[in-house]
Amino acid sequence: MKKLLMVLIIAFLGAILAACGSSSEESSGDETSEANEQNGGEEASVDLNRIRVLIGSSSTGGDTYQNADAVSRYTEEVLDTNMKVDAVGALRAFDELGKAKDDGSTIMFFHDMAYLGVEYGSFDEKDELDNWTIGPMVSINPGNAFLTSADAPYDTMAESAEWLEENPDETITVAVEAGGVSEVTFDAYYLWVEQEFGTEISDRIHAYVTGSQEDKDQALWDGNADIIHGSIGANNQYTEDGVEDKIKMKFLGVSASERVEGFDVPTFNEQGITVDGEEFVFDKEFFFLMPKDVDSNFAAALDNAVAEVVENPDYEEDLNTNTYIVNHRPAEEAEEYLLEKRDKIRSVIEQAPDLNDIAK
Amino acid sequence: MSIFEILTPLSVLLCFLGVFIGIVMGAIPGMTATMAIAIFLPLTYALDMIDSIGLLIGLYVGGISGGLVPAVLLNIPGTPSSLCTTFDGYPMTKKGEGEKALKVGITASIIGGFFSLTILYFFAPVLASVAIDFSSVEKFLIIVFALTVIASISKGSLLGGIFSGLLGMFISLIGTFTDNNEMRLVPPGLEDQLVYGFSLLPVLIGLFAIGQILQESEEGMKAASHQKIDLQKGNKNTQFSFKLFKNQKINVIRSSIIGTFVGMLPGVGGSAASITAYSQTKNFSKNPEKLGTGEPEGLVSSESANNGLIGGALIPLLSLGIPGDSTTAILIGAFLLQGIEIGPLFITSNQDLWSGIVFSLVIANIVMFILMFFSIKYFAKIVFIPKYLIFPIIVVACVVGSYAINNGVMFDVWTLLLFGLLGYIFPKIGVQIPSFLIGFILGTEAEKYFVDSLKGSSGDLTIFFTKGPIALVLWILIIGSVTYAIIDSRRTKKAAEQNAS
Repeated sequence: MKKLLMVLIIAFLGAILAACGSSSEESSGDETSEANEQNGGEEASVDLNRIRVLIGSSSTGGDTYQNADAVSRYTEEVLDTNMKVDAVGALRAFDELGKAKDDGSTIMFFHDMAYLGVEYGSFDEKDELDNWTIGPMVSINPGNAFLTSADAPYDTMAESAEWLEENPDETITVAVEAGGVSEVTFDAYYLWVEQEFGTEISDRIHAYVTGSQEDKDQALWDGNADIIHGSIGANNQYTEDGVEDKIKMKFLGVSASERVEGFDVPTFNEQGITVDGEEFVFDKEFFFLMPKDVDSNFAAALDNAVAEVVENPDYEEDLNTNTYIVNHRPAEEAEEYLLEKRDKIRSVIEQAPDLNDIAK
Repeated sequence: MSIFEILTPLSVLLCFLGVFIGIVMGAIPGMTATMAIAIFLPLTYALDMIDSIGLLIGLYVGGISGGLVPAVLLNIPGTPSSLCTTFDGYPMTKKGEGEKALKVGITASIIGGFFSLTILYFFAPVLASVAIDFSSVEKFLIIVFALTVIASISKGSLLGGIFSGLLGMFISLIGTFTDNNEMRLVPPGLEDQLVYGFSLLPVLIGLFAIGQILQESEEGMKAASHQKIDLQKGNKNTQFSFKLFKNQKINVIRSSIIGTFVGMLPGVGGSAASITAYSQTKNFSKNPEKLGTGEPEGLVSSESANNGLIGGALIPLLSLGIPGDSTTAILIGAFLLQGIEIGPLFITSNQDLWSGIVFSLVIANIVMFILMFFSIKYFAKIVFIPKYLIFPIIVVACVVGSYAINNGVMFDVWTLLLFGLLGYIFPKIGVQIPSFLIGFILGTEAEKYFVDSLKGSSGDLTIFFTKGPIALVLWILIIGSVTYAIIDSRRTKKAAEQNAS
């Protein structure tokens, strides 16, 4: 019966779409907000019949989409509404969040790049964390990692630096994306090599700046990069037994505080990678952002709903399928935590080299 | 394993439905297969993997095929990959051969579809391995090879065509350069609107649909000559017959191979497939001067190539986990939602699902063929709708499609209208629209792979010649294609002069 209903819904939707194009999110947002105004806006959180969740990535295959999709699917049930994840990319997501109504009909879901991008100058200053209402933090992708070809002469990031020291004619090129989690983890590695081994070694580390994960993988296969940024979720498939030698990869380390269960990949911390003498740990964390003056009823309702969702074992199982883990912090705590995390990471960014200078 | 053991009745039904919706969406200017799949992706979570694959594959095949209808009948490419279909499809409609053109296109589509499917089924892992040997250097050269079509389709003025192509490339580069996230070429005051540059779809349908409507409005609302032709009374020339394909065997195989191959290369868009195939058909044709005037030959090459790319794009996706085009990039999402990892071991560890995908493709192609072939006589009647009725409908469809393509961005509608106006002005000042569009479509990819090649070689330009044997072969093809186009252009000019005297 459920399946039949599904088919009917699809047919119906198809007919509507075919007849009049796509329904517009903005107009539905308008309608709801008008409805709210008529109701005095008191029950904003439950009155919204549709919440648009913008994500800072334009990919529907990446970790941002998967985490947004999972939390939205469970939260919409608790809030008794519909949440639609919209993969519009970071610049547009911020732009639209800035113009969004304060009723909560448009919110954003993203990870640390939200503030890293501002720190690195990829995003506008007006998009900094202080200008949004920070919502609850929901999950972690603990698999933020670096990889190399399976036959590379080193097995960890630390060993790659030692290898450079032992082989004065060699260089290492690392494929990273500008302005994101991959750049900050690369910066930490670079600074550690500089501080631990000296500039003679770190000068032989180059950056290959590129965009998507596919581009980074291809850069490794092309020989344009020796080490690439990636993740356990996206790249594990290339490390398994049975994969052709030509494309086989191996992990060199993860930046998270703890190892990912089931994977024998050492953390940066275990490898002794430090910046200014302090251990370098970077968890890629996912959280909600809302317009600065978002309706406080809505913000509270979302916060409570997410708190309920993270207790749901089905949600946890969904996350674990793709090696993500639940990491809940209520909105208030998340704000304090993220602002502190940003301040801490600022010192890494301030010391870090300009990618343009070390690009190959 | 039997097809019935793997596919459920529901998955077949969903595949059928997917093809139908895909065709309708592909036929609406501004809506694409990518969009159809993106819209239905969240719904697939409630379905079993095999059922959702049926639906998504159906949408994919239907969406790519549906683009043929407006391209042939109205000179509006429903999707970017049907751009070359307009070159011969619409002239055929003008000659009163609309129905025949559609049937030729559909038959070429299913041949291309099955060809690439066969290649996918038997050679996927081997070919995927070859595909990753194509580094940014080879990809750049393939784009350049596709761009050489500009030389062969430039009617009358080779220089004019090249200028149009370069102008298209220039305009495609407006926006943010992703390597450093900085804006370039954006006129002051338009930073907010042009942060991502102009979207392809509004540009495409603006130039074709709106531009053409403006042009025809200038001529008045009287029925065009091809609107008066009575299809029933038509002579033999206007009737479709499978015999037409007798002389097209090599063309259809070559175009399907090009389609599958270009589709297989990750990051090289589907439009490049039909553009390259069209250009090669023209180069190898016995009557190259006739291409572009309503020859089934051109239509066959464009349509077999753009359906060929479906199987091609699935090769790196299913055997390496790398999407071959934007549509397959969304398909990855469907697998991930179900917790299935697509990668190098996918086929060996998910035999049932792999067979399910192949069977769904077979069904989707057959359903597409049946649905379209037998409903074509109704579709073909679109051309008889008076201009004063069809034009407003087209304008509405274009505006809605443009607004929806990026989930509701008003600037896309302005883009549509701006390029509509340019579509009216361009032919008057000698800018060739097809060449402009080909430059626009391939411009960003050309830049990306050019820059990537230089990044890999530390800025050494000789990399384009020294990369390896594949690069050299591509250079030979490029030079051959350009030389041929120049000779052909001179020959046509001479013939025209002789005729005139």
